[in-house]
Amino acid sequence: MRKIEKLVPVCVAIASLMVAVPAMAAPTGTLVIADSETPENLDPANATNSTVDELLIGDYDTLVQFTAGETTVSPRLAKSWEVSADGLTYTFHLRDDVLFHDGTKFTADDVKFTFDRLVAAKGNVLNDTGPYDSAEVVDPTTVKLHLKSSFGPFLSAMSRIYIVNKKLVEPHMSEDNARTWLAVNEAGSGPYIVTSYKPTEAVDLKAFDKYWGGWSGKHVAEVVFRYITEPSTALSLLKSGEVQMAPKINAEDKVALQKDPAYTIDVGKAATPMFFDFNTQSKGLTGNKLFRQMLSMTFDRQLHLDQVLLGFGSIPDGPLPADWPGHVGGTESKFDLDAAKKLVDDNGWKGTTLTVRYLPAIAEEQQAVEQLQSNLAQIGITLKAEGMTFPAQAATLQKLETTSDINVIYSFPTFPDPHAILNTDYNSAFDGFKGGYNWANYANPAVDTLLNDAASSSDQAKRVDLYQQAQKLIGADYPAITASLPGFVVAMSSKVVGYKYNVAHHQTYNYMDIGLK
Amino acid sequence: MRYVIERLLFSVLSLAVLLVLTFLLTHLSAADPAVVAAGPNAGAEKIAQLRAEMGLDKPLIVQFLIYCSEILRGDLGISWFTRQPIAQDLLQELPPSIELVVVAMLINLAISLPLGLLTARYANTRFDDAVRLLVLVGAGLPIFWLAILLQQFVGGQLQWLPIAGRLGFDNRDFAGPTGFALLDSLLAGRLDVFADALAHLVLPAFSLTLLFTAVGVRITRTAMISEFRKDYVVLARAKGAKNGRIMFRHVFPNGATPSLTVFGMQFGWMLGATVLVEEIFGRPGIGRYAVKAVTQSDIHAVVGVVLTVGVVFLLANLLADIALYLISPLKHRSPSTP
Repeated sequence: MRKIEKLVPVCVAIASLMVAVPAMAAPTGTLVIADSETPENLDPANATNSTVDELLIGDYDTLVQFTAGETTVSPRLAKSWEVSADGLTYTFHLRDDVLFHDGTKFTADDVKFTFDRLVAAKGNVLNDTGPYDSAEVVDPTTVKLHLKSSFGPFLSAMSRIYIVNKKLVEPHMSEDNARTWLAVNEAGSGPYIVTSYKPTEAVDLKAFDKYWGGWSGKHVAEVVFRYITEPSTALSLLKSGEVQMAPKINAEDKVALQKDPAYTIDVGKAATPMFFDFNTQSKGLTGNKLFRQMLSMTFDRQLHLDQVLLGFGSIPDGPLPADWPGHVGGTESKFDLDAAKKLVDDNGWKGTTLTVRYLPAIAEEQQAVEQLQSNLAQIGITLKAEGMTFPAQAATLQKLETTSDINVIYSFPTFPDPHAILNTDYNSAFDGFKGGYNWANYANPAVDTLLNDAASSSDQAKRVDLYQQAQKLIGADYPAITASLPGFVVAMSSKVVGYKYNVAHHQTYNYMDIGLK
Repeated sequence: MRYVIERLLFSVLSLAVLLVLTFLLTHLSAADPAVVAAGPNAGAEKIAQLRAEMGLDKPLIVQFLIYCSEILRGDLGISWFTRQPIAQDLLQELPPSIELVVVAMLINLAISLPLGLLTARYANTRFDDAVRLLVLVGAGLPIFWLAILLQQFVGGQLQWLPIAGRLGFDNRDFAGPTGFALLDSLLAGRLDVFADALAHLVLPAFSLTLLFTAVGVRITRTAMISEFRKDYVVLARAKGAKNGRIMFRHVFPNGATPSLTVFGMQFGWMLGATVLVEEIFGRPGIGRYAVKAVTQSDIHAVVGVVLTVGVVFLLANLLADIALYLISPLKHRSPSTP
């Protein structure tokens, strides 16, 4: 009896521990993020938009994903995969322990349904999946994706294909391929569930207790996105403790907060270069390569980094970030106003007037344009600046006669691969006339061939070589100035732990890895 | 009755003109929403398909006629970006904005009418001078500047009122049948939520109303001064009526009628101006919805917003006109009425 009595406290202690361990691991606390731009909708077909992506990245799962801070994909719903020798078939072996938020078991049928629905709905996310053809269910845990031709970055592009719950979505397919339904409803299996969606106010996500990945480590039980447009309001909310992360406050305030131990300023190594694109097809002076060479020397990147970005970023050396595979440096002119002035004087270009179009809503664009205006004025060239909205600016690019001499545009690669920047910004298939973002209207058949060959190859060494050749050719034609490589700067309370910038999901937050001290 | 019918017909005609102008102006901005809707790297073929689906490949007049036929069926269309029926979007966004404008309007009336009356009664005194100076300052303050100032000082430094939002964090899940937080909280018997919603309204409503209040005080003052000079006031004074009775029984009801017309119009103007306040105070509403729709060239959503603001503007004016007619039917009788 005594022995049993002695054992009682021990048993109680063990039982307490058994209860306590899961309790410690359970997500706790609420993370509030003040973001500036309201989301368009919740449809995974529209996940190329970062306001949508930032919500879906926690609500849904993908086959493979870029973990924040990494530049290669790692398994998610797919445990492993193989690629056929011809690069036309990707076979994914799926997890069998995944539940959607409604309790339905995830299978290969959901993957096929997701792709079939994206094709039917002409989902924007398919823009980046190259020559995707079809999906085939082999068994409940095996699915094959077939391509029409080989596509090197296909696996990377899977990081934006959020897998939907067929059981929930299929009944709405007859309406409009479920676009209206999925715009305001969720059908995911991710670590968090969108529980409240008020797009002009706030979106709430709550931790999913049956998440297949489990909840070991520090996590928050609830994530709230509050949409605060005014930077000073976001700063006040951060200081009052009502929000814990405020990415869109002014750079000056971020510099000030760096000195305060109550806050952390994270400078994410973003890969979103800002370009001054010269209209290479113009019948005016920007159609002249020598003139473009002169222009390419007129922007002081260091001054821009110091004065406009306040040091939050890095100086670009060509269109690709320097640490990306395939990058080659020295392809673009350095700032040299004297050399530019000599070219202006030698060629009688003094008195020329050019037009630049940009988005005044983006402060960096506005200030970069003013800087270029000032530099060009010093060498006798007048730069007229016309601010507009993005749809209006894109519309002007559709005809040569309405395309301005210079356009400012950022590149927002959806995954860290040279294809995602070079193909978008320099392949003639995506020039402005065709509604693409190659706003220099750059058309060099040799470059197109190199970019297309690199995209269709799965041999990484070969791709690196092709992209390097392409960058050299592009640089020699002076179609643009890569003006800046801004960092993605997030101001947050020092209580936030685990935040990391994700280069494959720009302007999103890895809230699934974040805990609060 | 005939007067009311005439006003109604005039309102419908005004809306039709507004519809044509907004539709045409939005299209003539030459933006291409298909490029935005298609996303990056879409390719020319997909953009062309999308343009056809959106009806943008049709001649402008055809697009307009299709749109008008939908409007007549009560359908404002589907937003190209929220992917929801625009009418449904607007019904969700309108209550917070209307609530803001109503509170702003109440502050406006509570200040404008008595201050207008008192400055008229004590015209050209130091009190009148002081109020006129304040009015001048109030009229010159930009809404966004005042909003930021109040937010940073009263909300941020003094912490007397909330900095932003519509409800406090603890009440974020509160919802009711009407979408008006003040009304819903009362209906639910939640006085704590009512107080919370009201606290969140004070700074935005005050920022929104100050400019309009300055105008309201001046208009009311001018109307009251002219009323004080009328013969019936002189007669009333001669008969020995007390000042208070003259002011509140005679001058105020008669002098308030011109102000009523202005207040009716101010209600619509305020709704149009909510965008500034909603953006600064992070409040949901039709202003924020409009900004997103404009920046994305979501044409039907833009037209939907303009029509909604137009309807509210006309309704407010109609109500003001009807109120004036009821107060003084002879003044507002139609010229053709025998």
